[in-house]
Amino acid sequence: MNKPLLALALAFGIASVASVQAQTPPAASPAPAINDAQIAHIAYTAGVIDVTAAKQALQKSHNKAVRAFAEEMQRDHTAVNEQALALVKKLGVTPQDNPTSQSLASGAADEQKKLATLSGSAYDKAYVDNEVAYHKTVNGALSGTLIPSAQNAELKSLLETGLKLFQSHQMHAEHLAQSLK
Amino acid sequence: MLRTTILLAGLLALTGGILPASASNAKRPATTPGHHVHVIVIDQMQYGPMPTDVHAGDIIEWANKDILEHSATARDGHFDVDLKPGTSGRITATAGTLAFFCKFHPTMTGTLVVK
Repeated sequence: MNKPLLALALAFGIASVASVQAQTPPAASPAPAINDAQIAHIAYTAGVIDVTAAKQALQKSHNKAVRAFAEEMQRDHTAVNEQALALVKKLGVTPQDNPTSQSLASGAADEQKKLATLSGSAYDKAYVDNEVAYHKTVNGALSGTLIPSAQNAELKSLLETGLKLFQSHQMHAEHLAQSLK
Repeated sequence: MLRTTILLAGLLALTGGILPASASNAKRPATTPGHHVHVIVIDQMQYGPMPTDVHAGDIIEWANKDILEHSATARDGHFDVDLKPGTSGRITATAGTLAFFCKFHPTMTGTLVVK
């Protein structure tokens, strides 16, 4: 597993453990491991990372199918993040930076540097393989941690819609990865 | 009297001018009697259930309830309907098998048979 994905898996692993621990002692209202402001920040950061990766792909790749995929990622993640921003504004919530978002951002920057050194089919394959792994991990985090932890119904609903969209992205990335073999 | 007639004519013209414009702005233009409108709802990256018993001349309408832009694009290139979030688009069905996909999300596909 590459560094950003490892960071994400660890962060969500820790969050899940913390969530279980918080629920173990009988408490009147156990505090969630992560709050809605942090969840919104993580989801938004994850979207920005994929848009940045897509922009790099559109600069580097000459493969028609890879470029079409990158355009889809850029368009969809931008649209979802716009919805997320509109929602937090409506709810009066300020997205809150947190260690998971920070790990995600720094890990993604490292991955982008690595991809920048590649070109041609080697780049295409590395980009698409990373997209498969990234969507798999983010989708796991959404279904396993972010959606169950979200307290606000509208935020939960947007995350659920996002999960459906990103599962479709993962499927597209997997098909594309197969075709590049 | 002449002035009243002119005023009346002017009012009628205005009314006549406004009403057809409103009708032409409606999302559901009048269809030929007997021809049905079949709606395919798009939500969460999926085309909803495909209509059955569709006949040539019927209207196929795609209603995009998703938060993303989609399209209904014919595999054979006969139609390409762009669908911004919250909008709908229509074609008049021709006999045969209509295979279509979303040009923005190729994993979204649909097929319907027109009699």
